[in-house]
Amino acid sequence: MSSAWFLQNLLNGLSIGSVYAVFALGYTLVFSILGIINFAHGAVFTLGAYLTYSLAVGQFGLNGLLAGVSLPFKLPFVLALVVGGALSGLAGMAVERLAFRPLRKRGADALLALVSSLGVALILVNLIQYLFGAEIYSFPADVFGSLPPAIIFTVSGKLVAVRSVQVILFGVSMSMLALLVWFIHFTKQGKALRATAENTDTASLLGISVDSFILGTFFISGILGGLSGTLIGVSFGLAGPYFGVAYGLKALAVIVLGGLGSIPGAVVGGLVIGLAEAFLPPEMSSYKEAVAYVLLFVVLLVRPQGLLGNDAEQKV
Amino acid sequence: MDDFIARYGFLFVTIIQQALLGLSLYFPLMAGQLSLASIGFYALGGYVAAIMGTHPELAAFRAFAGGFLYPLEWMVALALSFVLALVLGFPALRLRGIYLALATIAFVQVLGVVVLNMPIAGGAVGIFGIPQPFESRLAYVWFFGPLLALTLFFIWKLERSGTGRMFFSIREDELAARSMGVNVTWRKVQAFVIGCCLAGVTGAMSAPFLNTWNARQGTFDAAVACLAYVLIGGARSKWGALLGAALLVSLPELLRPLKDSRMILNGLMLVVACVYMPRGIAGLLARSGK
Amino acid sequence: MGRALLFVILVAFVSPAMAEPVGAPIPLGIAVATTSNVALFGEEQVNGAKIAEAYLNARGGVNGTPVKLVFQDTGGDEAGAINAFQTLITAKVTAIIGPTLSQQAFAADPLADRAKVPVIGPSNTAKGIPQIGEYIGRISAPMTVVAPNSLKKALALNPQIKKTAVLFAQNDAFSTSETGVFQEAIKALNLEIVTLQKFQTTDTDFTTHVTAVLGSNADLVVISGLAADSGNLVKQLRQLGYKGLIVGGNGLNSSNMFPVCGSLCEGILVAQAYSPQADIPVNKEFVAKFTEAYKKGPAQFSAQAFAGVQILVEALAKVEKESGKKITEMELADVRTALNKALRTGSYMTPLGEVSLDAEGEVHQKQFYVSVIKMSPDGKAGAFELSK
Repeated sequence: MSSAWFLQNLLNGLSIGSVYAVFALGYTLVFSILGIINFAHGAVFTLGAYLTYSLAVGQFGLNGLLAGVSLPFKLPFVLALVVGGALSGLAGMAVERLAFRPLRKRGADALLALVSSLGVALILVNLIQYLFGAEIYSFPADVFGSLPPAIIFTVSGKLVAVRSVQVILFGVSMSMLALLVWFIHFTKQGKALRATAENTDTASLLGISVDSFILGTFFISGILGGLSGTLIGVSFGLAGPYFGVAYGLKALAVIVLGGLGSIPGAVVGGLVIGLAEAFLPPEMSSYKEAVAYVLLFVVLLVRPQGLLGNDAEQKV
Repeated sequence: MDDFIARYGFLFVTIIQQALLGLSLYFPLMAGQLSLASIGFYALGGYVAAIMGTHPELAAFRAFAGGFLYPLEWMVALALSFVLALVLGFPALRLRGIYLALATIAFVQVLGVVVLNMPIAGGAVGIFGIPQPFESRLAYVWFFGPLLALTLFFIWKLERSGTGRMFFSIREDELAARSMGVNVTWRKVQAFVIGCCLAGVTGAMSAPFLNTWNARQGTFDAAVACLAYVLIGGARSKWGALLGAALLVSLPELLRPLKDSRMILNGLMLVVACVYMPRGIAGLLARSGK
Repeated sequence: MGRALLFVILVAFVSPAMAEPVGAPIPLGIAVATTSNVALFGEEQVNGAKIAEAYLNARGGVNGTPVKLVFQDTGGDEAGAINAFQTLITAKVTAIIGPTLSQQAFAADPLADRAKVPVIGPSNTAKGIPQIGEYIGRISAPMTVVAPNSLKKALALNPQIKKTAVLFAQNDAFSTSETGVFQEAIKALNLEIVTLQKFQTTDTDFTTHVTAVLGSNADLVVISGLAADSGNLVKQLRQLGYKGLIVGGNGLNSSNMFPVCGSLCEGILVAQAYSPQADIPVNKEFVAKFTEAYKKGPAQFSAQAFAGVQILVEALAKVEKESGKKITEMELADVRTALNKALRTGSYMTPLGEVSLDAEGEVHQKQFYVSVIKMSPDGKAGAFELSK
């Protein structure tokens, strides 16, 4: 087990783990406020990637309703990322209005929101297919300008190689995390958000408009989902309207592993799962898909509240 | 009419089959536990039937068993489900609420990967050419129909028994139930095991019904679909799973004339159903009946 | 229970009465996946079938009677395939082309067989498909011949090759059987498998797989997978510094690879059951019509769907010739039986080359190809270039 081998897997794991973390944060934010898992988050992830693609490239394939259409404008990638993220945030708000608020107002069984958000996910994914078709889209290779495809260096005589896009993934994800932590801990809105998360009743007594904060949470969650979708899309292409599903499921494992509703937990959970997958011995590659869930299962049995969760109350 | 039976016979039986899976989630829900593990047992039961029905080394056994092969498959699936559910149940049911749901989803996912790596399960292609007791798909109603009737009758009896009341007491307030002397853990495991056994037998019946069995059966998607049956149908009624399955299984088929946009509308109907029937179809019917 | 019964009665009223003759235009069923995560292939199949419908009808259809394709979505699961097949059978199609996945075929084909409706599998390559029944055939050849050919091609390009890394999509039926053929061929050529890696078709991040390949010092990489996953795998292999040859299975025979790995697709040797460059008149017309309609060349799935429609139309013409009656004047059940028989006689010149179905329904295809992927320098356009 050379140090080059170790470093290589460490870098691989950190890169993919950081994206898991950002994506999972979107889940965990909503959970911290509503105590409900938003099954449509994976669809927003996918939608974000398609939106950014439309803005930055604007060329459509041959199968969807948009077949043959070219948009008259093309935004520079960074701008498209920002606008695409904001639009994903709006999509997150739409999910809230459509799937969560009506149920909350009626005082329906909280579990029902699982199903209604699943319904919204079904709408979004099939809408994407209806518009774009199931074919593969990808961002042009020069989307970040002319970067070398990979950074290759030697450690004690052995090669270590990292794709440039892996570094970008890690960098953007970490900046997003920093931004979010700053927002939650150092802005008025962020503090109110935390108060709402602690206890919705007290929050409304304090004059915080709970509805608008829930909506705001979904907006931020949507941005996180859409941005992580775009990052994955840039790195690996948009392999059809279902490409977010596997990430959506894995992110569920991430937030439980870290502790539901815990922001540092989502980050730690994402990195742990990313690293665990990277360090899986090559001859066990057929079990890679199971790594996240085995970890989740074991951690839950040993420490039911997750790695960094506090066992105050367990909402459904 | 012949055309009609040919066209919708399969769909009709699928509704009953899916309702049984929905009911397998209903049992733990009676004790307030949201577990999706039974979908894994459905997959397992299917493999039991598929392997018993096709494995070359069991040819002599099949010739000996004749028509009793199918009930034997159900028995083996039942026994296996019972043991595995007990082993899984005790540690898993220490978890509550959404944690239990997610742990059981993890179980389903891991099981899928393990099965894909087991040579006996046929890898990605799975197992095919499973012996058929009936020619017509509709005839499978003789498998699933009695099982459904039996299950509903069992629930009806259970609801009136001491055990059932203990389940309900846990659902209403676990702490109170515990303080009243209910062995909470044991009762939860009991409800969980019953659900898993039902799913295992349903799986064993489903392998011949679908002609084939593979690692794409009993996945996360199937698990949430079954949860949707129960919740849309009405999570507090034994009829909920059946009503929900009837609606959600037939919906994509009824929407076929819409072609490419049918699945969009299917999703929309799911949302509308949640919003306008917060207590499920069963709740709606109960209210209009009063 | 009451509700279910009500639903049964309701639908009973709208279902059509029994009618036996074949409709005009002659209906042919296409049951492929146009929703779910298999839709990428289903869409290609629909595109190819539509070109076939227009092309064959323009040439007079079945001796002057046009054909009409009836499309039903199977989704990605077994129940969906069964429902689509039932819908088509009761819609009185003369034959069915579909479903997309082998697993779906094992579930749905027996129903068509019992209803005595001929089925042509356009993309079902698993072992045992034609054996499902008398009425089941396919035009998608299992790739036992061509995989070794592409390896030999690689050895011809670089005789120094000794160590191979084999990777395959473990959850894909075709890829798992194809990798078996590859692995045997590798051993037969006295090469060594230094690492065997499995992945899922849904995987995107292959850095751990690539690390293992690079660590094994392989000088040949052999991939069996589908377009999106294999494209990502190739891209990451190249970006992280793998310089040797790459041989891809039939799943990589798709222009869907090009957007994923871009200019890094360059040089992959691909085993093909269909080549758009094949020098066959009907293929040239197919490629021209397809490119005109969709602004890009046809994929293998499109060509196989085209061939499926084509052999059905030609076999229907044979049925007319033998019976001396127009198809539209015959009983549906008789047409289905006669069509099934006619399908299994003679050979057909399709875009796939000369194909025939044996008595069991198994396809016999004459031409297979090995191509090299050539990309434009900007990585936006690519082509499979036949290697001679």
